[in-house]
Amino acid sequence: MDYAIETISLTKIFSDWWGRAKVYAVDDLNLKIRPNEVFGLLGPNGSGKTTTIKMLLGLLHPTKGHALLLGGQGADPKINTRIGFLPEESYLYRFLNARETLDFYGRLFGLTPDVRKMRIEALLEMVGLKAVARRPVGTYSKGMARRIGLAQALINDPDLLILDEPTTGLDPIGTRQIKDLILKLAERGKTILLCSHLLADVEDVCDRISILYGGKVQSEGRVGDLLRQADKRQITTGAISEKALAKIQKILNEEGVGCDVTSPMEKLETFFIDTVVEAQQQAKPTSGAVSTTDIGEFLTAEESQGSILDRLASTSEPELAPTGDLKTEEVEPVEVATPQGNQDLLSDLVKPDSGSETEQVDSTAAADLAAPKGPKPTEVPDVKKNVLDALMGGDATPDATTSAPQEPKKDGESGDG
Amino acid sequence: MGRIWAVAKNTIRQALRMKVAAIFIVLLLVLLPVMGLTATGDGTLMGRLQTFLSYGLSLTSLLLCLLTIIVASYTITSDIENRVIYMVATKPIRRHQFILGKLLGVVLLDIGLLILFAGGIYATVKLLPRFQDASEAEIAQVNSEFFTARASLVPPVLDVTEEVIALYQEKEDQLKQVYSSLTQAEILNELTIRKRLEKRAAAVGQGVLWEFENVKPLGADESLYVRFKYDVAETPADNQVYGRWQIGDLRQMREGTEIKTYIASEDRKDPLRTFREIEIPASVVADDGYLAVGYINPPLNRTVVLFPLEDGLEVLYRADSFTANYVRATLVILCRLIFLAVLGVLAASFLSFPVAILFCLVVFSIGSVSGFILEAIDLMDANIGMIYEYTIEMVVHMLPRFDKFNPTKFLVPGRLLSWSFLGSIVVSMVCVKAFLLLILSLIIFSFRELAKIIV
Repeated sequence: MDYAIETISLTKIFSDWWGRAKVYAVDDLNLKIRPNEVFGLLGPNGSGKTTTIKMLLGLLHPTKGHALLLGGQGADPKINTRIGFLPEESYLYRFLNARETLDFYGRLFGLTPDVRKMRIEALLEMVGLKAVARRPVGTYSKGMARRIGLAQALINDPDLLILDEPTTGLDPIGTRQIKDLILKLAERGKTILLCSHLLADVEDVCDRISILYGGKVQSEGRVGDLLRQADKRQITTGAISEKALAKIQKILNEEGVGCDVTSPMEKLETFFIDTVVEAQQQAKPTSGAVSTTDIGEFLTAEESQGSILDRLASTSEPELAPTGDLKTEEVEPVEVATPQGNQDLLSDLVKPDSGSETEQVDSTAAADLAAPKGPKPTEVPDVKKNVLDALMGGDATPDATTSAPQEPKKDGESGDG
Repeated sequence: MGRIWAVAKNTIRQALRMKVAAIFIVLLLVLLPVMGLTATGDGTLMGRLQTFLSYGLSLTSLLLCLLTIIVASYTITSDIENRVIYMVATKPIRRHQFILGKLLGVVLLDIGLLILFAGGIYATVKLLPRFQDASEAEIAQVNSEFFTARASLVPPVLDVTEEVIALYQEKEDQLKQVYSSLTQAEILNELTIRKRLEKRAAAVGQGVLWEFENVKPLGADESLYVRFKYDVAETPADNQVYGRWQIGDLRQMREGTEIKTYIASEDRKDPLRTFREIEIPASVVADDGYLAVGYINPPLNRTVVLFPLEDGLEVLYRADSFTANYVRATLVILCRLIFLAVLGVLAASFLSFPVAILFCLVVFSIGSVSGFILEAIDLMDANIGMIYEYTIEMVVHMLPRFDKFNPTKFLVPGRLLSWSFLGSIVVSMVCVKAFLLLILSLIIFSFRELAKIIV
């Protein structure tokens, strides 16, 4: 079968000046990623993840072996047209502003001006940088740069998305948004290679994972298979009485198994979002990214790419989520795969800030979020799982730019925002 | 093409916004007007114009050369060092398109700045006479010698090899005694110079005749100038030399037929070792472009009069307008900038920024003093010279010779910078040398690894 990504004995040896082999960065790697798969490439720092990606994309030449992307070479422009890539950090032209950055990459993809304009607006809206789109990206915080990096990776509506540490530097809402986006894109038949050492992110979204160490695959398989503890069962109930609990314990004792009874903790993610929502309701201004869980319409549309783009490009206000006249592609409300209460919180997040100098989020989008009607996938995984890990692990500390309570230190640079 | 253009546009933006270009632009904007006010030359209008044009254009050229080197190297090395290249190279753009886009951006920036500053200098030079209290004579002089593009005809260098060899063979022993410290080649060289000078010397009562073909003044009502410099065997007391000049189609006299075209004739007295000009109507030129210039040494002089080999005599005539000449001079500068842009791109394709800059500056400096280097090698002892001949000299020949193609050398004395001269520069500097460098840089950049090694 044709794989979306295939590496055959891929090896990269870094040599010293005399040509002596120093480091095996990637050692005889055989990856096979099927189309429409969300594949996680895991591993500790220096395990060869990024080197593998660079070889896939033709930025490094393999010492041995081959790397195939969508059946071709990563350096082939025909293949590049169908790929979106977000490097481990957002490397941007500091002198361009967000809109110019996206315009530049749009031009490299040869997008027509209409399509380019429409997508730029949609992406800026999606990553919450519309209000600061005229500021040079050199003045952006890490998380904001990450957002614009993500936007450029999506501007061509890629078939294959390669994300290297996508959530680094993002606040929890941004992290969540990326995870939602990945699922959404997978639903549309896209292939995603997610490279990360933030295990929670990977666990939430990936179908299959591969764990690298020392440039070699140590373990590979479906996430569910690898993690399932077949000898244990978990039952979650409402607030049942002590009496009922005693009954259950009795039954379990008869079965010959023990059980632990605890009250589940509220997730830190929920707590965090609560706090941000509260701050936004108090109308504190931010010079950073606006938290939005909206996903660019052209990325979530079910129709074939050509027709929707052409039609959207011809509408007078393509950047706004169409409401009345475009019923078939209403902005898909984001799957907030959390309890109902959390959805309300998220919808609050995108409500316009009265008195704020930042972006006024389109109210139709907010309304959509508040009352989601779109089709919901049945197999949405629980993205709230291990949020604590996600927040604490690596460098994914909550980003200051979106969190209003930390706002004052950003005031100095909000002048041109 | 759209992709190349996108990269080019981005490069121009980068140069302008990263303040690299801004510094040079501000520097020129400040220096040029200051120069316009302070450059007075020898105090005359002519001197003022020449000084301003010379310094202004040289300064613009120099600063734009430096700017080109810096921007061309920086724009590529910074993309690689800041790793923006990861994002760009993974888009559907081929590496050569990226390089061509960068180059196009730098060249377009150069063209824009060159038009701006060369245009400014042109306007200043044109306006300067109006604001200067100049006499009629000064304005006439400026118009005939500065605001013009005069073609120059010099007598061909004569081949005297046979005569020299004959002379040497005849008087070998004597010569070896006289020039005891010189080698045979050096003696021959000395004799050659003497023989050539002999052909340009007029004993008392005798004359020298020079003949020119293909003289094409703009029109018959134009003027023709014979520019000369006397030298003598014995310096007269008053440092003055007499001369009878006959200029025109002297074939008519030889054949003894009816004289159809006018023959100018002048008796003059001029100072020694100073450039002088005789102005005559261009109608003296025969229909077939033939022109003869004859000098007769009258007995009043009592000494041999000779015309130095380098610059003893030339015939000047207006062949084009100052404006057209100026445009070509600007294009010569542009050729230089294009070469340097390609050089910068080449350096950046495999070197880091500081090294690339150093490399370019070395090449630029060698190109700017290539004449001096070649002369120095010529003067060396034959044996040591051999080593240099096959190393440095070859390198210098491969580089463009910026000093030889210096456009102010033409503009300041109002000399014609012909299309063919410009063409030769375009061919050698851009079409051959820059093109080869570009191919080389495309090959290097296409095959190199763009990512850094991080494990």
